[in-house]
Amino acid sequence: MEKTHPTDKPIVVLKDVWKTYSMGEVKVHALKNVSLEIRHGDFVAIVGPSGSGKSTMMNLVGCLDTPTKGTVFLESRDITKMSESDLASLRGKTIGFIFQQYNLIQNMSAFENVLLPLELQEFDDYSAEKRAAELLKLVGLGDRMGSRPTQLSGGQQQRVSIARSLAANPEVVLADEPTGALDSVTGREVLETLHRLWKTEGKTIILVTHDMNLARYAQRFIELKDGEVVRVEKNRDVQKVDYRLPEKQQGIG
Amino acid sequence: MKLDKCLKIALNMVMHSPLRSWLTIVGIVIGVASVIAIVSLGNGLQNQVNSQLSSLNANLVTLSPGFERGQGGGFGRFGGGPGGFGGAASTAVATLGKNDVRALQSISEISLINTQISGRTNVSFGGESGNLQVSGVDPKTWSQITSSKVGQGRFLEPSDKGVVVIGYSLASGFFKSPITLGKDISIEGKSFKVIGITSDTGRFDRSITMPIDDAYGVLGSTKTRDDYDNIQVVLKDGTDIDAAVAKITAVLMSSRNVKTQDFTVSSTKDLQQSVSSVTSSLTLFLTAIAAVSLLVGAVGIANSMFTSVLEKTKEIGIMKAVGAKNRDIMTIFLFNAGLIGLVGGLLGVVLGTIASSFISSLLTGSGISLPGIGGRGGGSVTLVSVDILIGVLAISVFVGLLSGVIPAYQASKLKPVDALRYE
Ligand SMILES: Nc1ncnc2c1ncn2[C@@H]1O[C@H](COP(=O)(O)OP(=O)(O)O)[C@@H](O)[C@H]1O
Ligand SMILES: [Mg+2]
Repeated sequence: MEKTHPTDKPIVVLKDVWKTYSMGEVKVHALKNVSLEIRHGDFVAIVGPSGSGKSTMMNLVGCLDTPTKGTVFLESRDITKMSESDLASLRGKTIGFIFQQYNLIQNMSAFENVLLPLELQEFDDYSAEKRAAELLKLVGLGDRMGSRPTQLSGGQQQRVSIARSLAANPEVVLADEPTGALDSVTGREVLETLHRLWKTEGKTIILVTHDMNLARYAQRFIELKDGEVVRVEKNRDVQKVDYRLPEKQQGIG
Repeated sequence: MKLDKCLKIALNMVMHSPLRSWLTIVGIVIGVASVIAIVSLGNGLQNQVNSQLSSLNANLVTLSPGFERGQGGGFGRFGGGPGGFGGAASTAVATLGKNDVRALQSISEISLINTQISGRTNVSFGGESGNLQVSGVDPKTWSQITSSKVGQGRFLEPSDKGVVVIGYSLASGFFKSPITLGKDISIEGKSFKVIGITSDTGRFDRSITMPIDDAYGVLGSTKTRDDYDNIQVVLKDGTDIDAAVAKITAVLMSSRNVKTQDFTVSSTKDLQQSVSSVTSSLTLFLTAIAAVSLLVGAVGIANSMFTSVLEKTKEIGIMKAVGAKNRDIMTIFLFNAGLIGLVGGLLGVVLGTIASSFISSLLTGSGISLPGIGGRGGGSVTLVSVDILIGVLAISVFVGLLSGVIPAYQASKLKPVDALRYE
């Protein structure tokens, strides 16, 4: 009954990746020789204690940063060798971000925030506006499209950011502690939304969390400790999710 | 990203600018407004001077004692007929007299000669008195040479004695009760009958003109009889003015028997040239001052842009995360700076236009008059042209863009991770 995802083709590959931050004399090795593969349609949870290098890894996977050593491949292309504008374009098309602090643009309405990636990808106005409206409805904010982030609750803002992450119809959704700023009920609902996207849209989801309860929604765990991958394993006990959304989401936040 | 979308985002940024950005805009507004006010004032002055100069007789040549290279015989003299500040102040020795007039009479190109003197003296009427400029002219020729028009009464005639023609402004506004035709005014204790009043040209005119023989009587303490402050000659129509000036100079040099020229011959043409060179350099100078304030405005924009880039660091990171290229960020911030320039420019244009009409009404309404240039009822002292407005607006936008280049470039170069981490 569950939809089977094509997990043969890798979409993100990290090969012998090091990331070192230098702060004056002190060097912090945030990632130490990390290699991993994430395939199309995966739902991966990157777990580990605070400071273990999860965000650093996310930034590399999301092409927001480049490794100190080693290579990162996105859709078989070496991001360290790409021009800035090609990389931006590839990032915009392939990856959608969900951040812990939502990172919405304060002076734009929910609708404009969701529209932004579409405008960056030069969608025509009609289809861009249609898609933005549909996505906001999908996350249960069809009636709050004109609201600014400050007029929305944390849960609602995070749903706007989910809608934004999906706008350009990316292959991969990266979520770095997406529930970190939310209460546990709202947090679980956000996770369920992600799970549903994975299930119904066939997206590749990469979830960063230090909370093992939330990680249970994923298919696989990658555990980091002190910048090293200490465990990669399949989730034998995937959280059961109830798909009565989106109506149910009207109540979130 | 398409340009119209970049513009939309930039516009959104301007609209939600903090107060500080608006203060930056005020800097530009003031710069633009002062450029417009000053340039329009300069243009207006130039316009008025030109129209007054063009009303002068082009065939008029003025001789004055003492030699002044290049310049005419003093600016105060144009436009107002007789009068002037006495261009001979620098050379007390040389004078113009009857012999010179005789020499001039031998020159065939000359059709009219007017000899005149002028000075300030005490004038009273109806129990009040004031210090005014009095000119003595040759009553035979003055009426044909002067650029004034008679409004009431008549001009001087050859046989006149003890009479004056006065300026409209003096007649109507100087003393409490207006001076009317036929009244007597007292000059240095002598009584003169007003036989003519000049017409109201909108120009400030407090002249008193009388036959030169009478003038020696009232200006006696400062003037020697048969010495002239200047001689005006009118050339026959169609005369080559430069050649005639050269000829007059040569004839007078030989009749005066001098090796170095001790008198000045200036034509209206010379005067027109020197006046317009003065007014245009004045305008240029004032514009340069105004441009400095525009420059200050530009520094303000640049400063505000740098701060704005800092403030927007996180947003830049967000936009990059959702697919913005360096070029998009650069474009957005350039548009932002250009829009600040545009908004400042537009407000400045409005303010500058208001300021310039205010200056105009201030100068004309209060009767303030620049030498020879009055403005009462005679049109605006300032001249705002569409060219200037568009030009200044374009400069303002350009200044905005220019001052935004470096901040915009900095913004575009931010690494997405670094930008996103910024709080
Ligand atoms: N920009 C940075 N400069 C210096 N050190 C950093 C920077 N970002 C992260 N680090 C360090 O790298 C390590 C890993 O950080 P991070 O990837 O944020 O961990 P996590 O997301 O798992 O909490 C930490 O020790 C952190 O202090
Ligand atoms: Mg983190």
